[in-house]
Amino acid sequence: MTTDLAVLAEDLTKFYGAHRGIEGLHLEVTTGEIMGFLGPNGAGKTTTIRLLLDFLRPTRGHATVLGLDPRRDKALLHRRIGYLPGELTFPGRERAADLLRFFGDARGGVSWSHVTDLAARLNLDLSRPVHAMSKGNKQKVGLVQAFMHQPALLVLDEPTSGLDPLMQQEFLAMVREARAAGQTVFMSSHVLAEVQEVADRVAIVRDGRLAAVERVESLGRRAVRTVEIHFADPVGPQEFAALPGVKDVTVSGPVLKCTMDGRLDPLIKAAARHEVIDLLSTEPDLEETFLSFYYHAEGAGDAAAPAGA
Amino acid sequence: MLLPPLVHKSWRDDRRAILGWAAGVTLFTLIYGGFYSQFKGAAELKQQALSKGMLDFFGVTDLVSPAGYLQASIFSLLGPLLTLFCAITLMARTIPRPEEDGGMELLLTVPLSRTRFAWQRLAAAGAVATGVSALPGIVLLIVVPVTGMDIAMSYVTAASAGLVALTWCFGGIAFLVGAVSGRRATVLAVTGALAAATYMAHVISGMAGGWHWLRWISPFHYFIGTDPLHTGWHPAHLSALVAVGVGTTIAGVILFDRRDVGV
Repeated sequence: MTTDLAVLAEDLTKFYGAHRGIEGLHLEVTTGEIMGFLGPNGAGKTTTIRLLLDFLRPTRGHATVLGLDPRRDKALLHRRIGYLPGELTFPGRERAADLLRFFGDARGGVSWSHVTDLAARLNLDLSRPVHAMSKGNKQKVGLVQAFMHQPALLVLDEPTSGLDPLMQQEFLAMVREARAAGQTVFMSSHVLAEVQEVADRVAIVRDGRLAAVERVESLGRRAVRTVEIHFADPVGPQEFAALPGVKDVTVSGPVLKCTMDGRLDPLIKAAARHEVIDLLSTEPDLEETFLSFYYHAEGAGDAAAPAGA
Repeated sequence: MLLPPLVHKSWRDDRRAILGWAAGVTLFTLIYGGFYSQFKGAAELKQQALSKGMLDFFGVTDLVSPAGYLQASIFSLLGPLLTLFCAITLMARTIPRPEEDGGMELLLTVPLSRTRFAWQRLAAAGAVATGVSALPGIVLLIVVPVTGMDIAMSYVTAASAGLVALTWCFGGIAFLVGAVSGRRATVLAVTGALAAATYMAHVISGMAGGWHWLRWISPFHYFIGTDPLHTGWHPAHLSALVAVGVGTTIAGVILFDRRDVGV
């Protein structure tokens, strides 16, 4: 039990028949840190999480969670884990309050005022039946049940899906507070930005294998985004293509599209010379850009070295 | 709280189905049992109209005596059909339903080992299935004296206990199939087919001389083939049914503990 690792995966492997879920995963999550778990859909994030929680049994390898064996110590372990499933379906058709009372009774030691505090924070009405709620509200119920017993380890699979931006910020605040209280957070996502905002480190999986484990600071520089600017009049591509960090410039009439690596400032300054009607800056899909960086670009980070080494 | 929260939750989620089955089976027994005197006259006619083979097929020896009437109306076909269907659908809700609809992941966050989880789900469903299958017997405890049927109460109790044992037998099989497959349709198909086939085996063994041995493989023989309404208790036969139920249940818990859930 005296370990400073909340999660330790050693050669963790899961095959569904011939189909690979995850292979040879070595991963360490330190107690008290927020670890982001990134990868495109289908990369093996959910499989890994289900292995850690003993819903699935590994084909090979082993996981240790909070110093315990997921299968042998399941009862003890789940008292100390808060889990938010990626595909959230609630058992039964009762009101949110009744469902949460059930989880509270089953886990023990949950103060109801803490539950109502969490619900109030997330602006969630507990008197409504869960099955009739919107996706966002269901997600909030899922978050409340994951946080309600103040678990030592929070395992959150795509925690912000369905939440509006305001609630996403509230959620990120909850995660930071959890870290401040000494809890460990392991959260998966396919959106880099939200993980970047809170996580200490990120592990990146792709095609069932661990691609890299990096500290978040080292990711910041690689924040690539796509930018779309609508001008009042047609513009030429040449005056933007040469700007630092700007790539893939395409112009069709008054609309300019490009990708931007690094700070937006040079592009904004250049655009300001024209009359700007609209500006759109979006985080590109992780699959398209961020991960391709790890596979096709130079500094592959720790990708080559196993994280456990 | 006296009951484990998971058992409580299972009942709450199934309360409509539970009330529906309880009301239905009670009503069924009341109507068939309560109207013995009215049916009696008609039954005499019906018995004359039907051939011996046909009566055997429906598990009917005679329709006129109280024992024959209860066997024909409640215990031979409709009673088991209702209580078995109830037990099978309840068992399909223990593991297969949450596994199919996705609610299983959150249910499994309840801090219990896999085996304890399975036992508690089973206990919740098993208690209801037992209660529902005991209802005909309980209702008859009132109906038999009230309608003045001339039959020993212990014989009625023996047959009713057989119905509970039969329900345990098929309930255990249904739980096993659900614990292994995690699929509701598989539970209904496999257990339903098994019940139909073994019912036929029981019937055929009674009709055709050469097929007499078939009865030994049919749970229905252990339940009603001993003619409890005329001969009373047959503990060995009932124990055989219970043993199948217990054995399949234990196997189901063990196999559920060993497999992946929700893939």
